[in-house]
Amino acid sequence: MSPTLIQQLPDLVIGAEPPTDAEQSPSVQALRSRFGESVRAVRMDPVATPVVTIEPARIHEVLSFLKTDSTQGYDLLLDVMGADPGGDLVIQVWYQLWSMEHGRMLRLVALLPRSELSIPSAVDLYRAADWLEREVYDMYGVHFEGHPDLRRILMPENYDEGFPLRKDFPLRGRFTRSEQVRRALNRSTEDVYAREELALAGMLEAETSAAAADAPVGSEAKDYLAGEKMVINMGPQHPATHGVLRLVLQLDGETVVRCIPHIGYLHTGFEKTCEYREWNQVIPYTDRMDYLSPMLYNIGYALAVESLLGVEITPRCRVVRVILSELNRILGHLLWLGTGAMDIGATTVFLYTFQERERIYNLHESYCGGRITTSVTRIGGMLADLPVGWLEACREHVNGLPATLDEAEELLTRNSIWQSRMIDVGVIDAETALNLGLTGPNLRGSGLAYDVRKARPYLGYDEYDFDVPVGAVGDTYDRYLVRLEEMRQSVRIIQQALDRVPDGPINVQDPAVVLPDKSEAMSSIDAMISHFKLVMEGLQVPAGDVWYSIESTKGELGFGLIADGGPKPVRCRFRGPSFVNLAALPHMVEGGLVSDVIACNASIDIVLGEIDR
Amino acid sequence: MAVERKRLPTVDPAAGDVVTGAPVSWLTTKVDAVVNWSRRNSLWPMPLGTACCAIEMMASAGSKFDIARFGAERFSFSPRQADLMIVAGRVTYKMAPILRRIWDQMPQPKWCISMGACASSGGMIDNYTIVQGIDQIIPVDVYVPGCPPRPESLLYGLMMIQEKIKGESLTNPFHREEGADSVGRPNLPPEAIELVAQPFGNSTRQNRISGVEGSSAISRPRDRRERLLEHQD
Repeated sequence: MSPTLIQQLPDLVIGAEPPTDAEQSPSVQALRSRFGESVRAVRMDPVATPVVTIEPARIHEVLSFLKTDSTQGYDLLLDVMGADPGGDLVIQVWYQLWSMEHGRMLRLVALLPRSELSIPSAVDLYRAADWLEREVYDMYGVHFEGHPDLRRILMPENYDEGFPLRKDFPLRGRFTRSEQVRRALNRSTEDVYAREELALAGMLEAETSAAAADAPVGSEAKDYLAGEKMVINMGPQHPATHGVLRLVLQLDGETVVRCIPHIGYLHTGFEKTCEYREWNQVIPYTDRMDYLSPMLYNIGYALAVESLLGVEITPRCRVVRVILSELNRILGHLLWLGTGAMDIGATTVFLYTFQERERIYNLHESYCGGRITTSVTRIGGMLADLPVGWLEACREHVNGLPATLDEAEELLTRNSIWQSRMIDVGVIDAETALNLGLTGPNLRGSGLAYDVRKARPYLGYDEYDFDVPVGAVGDTYDRYLVRLEEMRQSVRIIQQALDRVPDGPINVQDPAVVLPDKSEAMSSIDAMISHFKLVMEGLQVPAGDVWYSIESTKGELGFGLIADGGPKPVRCRFRGPSFVNLAALPHMVEGGLVSDVIACNASIDIVLGEIDR
Repeated sequence: MAVERKRLPTVDPAAGDVVTGAPVSWLTTKVDAVVNWSRRNSLWPMPLGTACCAIEMMASAGSKFDIARFGAERFSFSPRQADLMIVAGRVTYKMAPILRRIWDQMPQPKWCISMGACASSGGMIDNYTIVQGIDQIIPVDVYVPGCPPRPESLLYGLMMIQEKIKGESLTNPFHREEGADSVGRPNLPPEAIELVAQPFGNSTRQNRISGVEGSSAISRPRDRRERLLEHQD
């Protein structure tokens, strides 16, 4: 291979179709005509989402227009994320919107100069923005004006090393390790507990009396006949919080008056760490986020990077990824079923579902060697082709699965204890669910049939015949039924996919993306050069950005990626669905009984690895 | 913080003292045998599961691996009724004071398994938020490698704890080394934390400093701490 050919290699990957013109999008036209100069720039991202850069001061007006105008109807705020492209210039804030009615995606971008990191808050329009904006504040120090409770969310409240995701923040923190340990262990009560809770518990004398004086006569604070409220702390080490979640509950007898979730006890800094890794090296981090259904994260991340690269994966790879996705959907739902039932007191189901999970783990193991941390995908394909006999083993397993589900269902669905613990508990109606940004089975339990596999089909999901189950009331029981039915639908998809696994290569035949065969690398000079370049220089992803999402077990799993043409991502955002879903917990439990907190928390199906990232 | 507390007579092995405690007699060895037998076959784990390893810990409790075969199936979610802490998963600086408090709440005798790479050394995550090995916070008896370890590995770690309990004696004061003054404080001094928290520090230091003897099941975590300090000099 001549040196000129080496230089041509990267061109192979930029063969994507020219994107359709963003100006033709009806939303962009409406924004242009209404907001004129405030629309700074318009472009299209690789998955054909119009990206509109808006003057930061008018972002609230624009969001309000997009939400309320009947021709737009962007009623689901999927993501608010920050990004620091480096160079000490600006910090970007992205708003990712979805219109349920028109089936359109739109991204608003605000560029904030570092001297003035301030932007109007969108919490009064979308309650989903509450935690998302707090996270941007925590990680970038962007001040959201009008946010009711702008505190750090993932880092400790008294964290004073800075804003971790900014480019000038060192990966290992500003202080030495011993200083970090010392500070962590020396926190005073005021630092561990939020001021709000201390006020609730009456530990901040001055503030409580001041609040009581301000309260109008007849309100709660002046109502001396009302019983004394009690504050209890649940977690972060608690068997029913599914990880290190901490809930502060204010109780009036058995009734929950307030519920304040605290997260961040498992904040792993994946997003920061991934900025220091090459594109393919990020994959092992992805399956440690949602360790209940790891392959969905692998596959979603690979698809997102492939969309940036403009690479079309092979037909065999598409079908294999569908099989693995659905297998992992079952895996995730089985864990939810087992632990959820155990939380409510039915221990037997846990043993049934774990038996089934072990069988799926065996399939994982025979494919990639790992049980939980699978890292099966590579950008442009999979780590290897399926081993001989794997498809047959998978078919055998999947055919036997409905029987186990029937067994579990027999134990639960018509069980009177189960029903009385779940029916009409934690009700969330469709409108509230949408406003809170719920996705996945939680949103579908409230009766909205929004599934990314149907709304924006990826991996050829539109070629499969499956139904999207929805609930009627939006209570805990509906969410349970939806997930059970989803497992059966996943079985249907896998059975269809197994019948149509095409022959052919599993990886794209592109030397700039995928490593050549080992045997070839040792015998052919072309293969050796591309092997050398890929290993030494890393996969080069052309400059650009994308927000790509798939349907994970918990809801809409989004990947916000920014590339600068180099071997490492500039920004690697993971929009974990549980993060937004968990913010809905107070709305479910407030006014209910304290024992229902457990049932509600179980029904959201959270995984802390993804919430805290 | 300095609480005056009546302590058992201590000896300094470095100064050449021979660790014997009370005279070992026929009676004490027989009592030891019975006590250790019952202790090691009815361990009540305190599962501090945070991340992926917790799922494998749950799998160990499932029917396929069945931790009940080793008498440790009674997971105690209250630290006050537990004697074996299994730290499964990443521990952040935000979680560190909670980990230390839960450990302090557990009554003696108590043991600790650090399950998985993250808990043992920070693993693949070396950044601003993850504690680079929980032995900086609490003493650890057995490190189980893996990311995550298979349930078999955890069971093997449990067997190593059982092996360790076998070698303990009621007459040995070192078995209850942690006094009231260690409550809420890091397990290692700052210099040692800096040493083990270097990139790859924990995994390489564990081998080099603790050596063959230190990595055996019956050595005390205290040995390692002292060796770290010696190395520092």
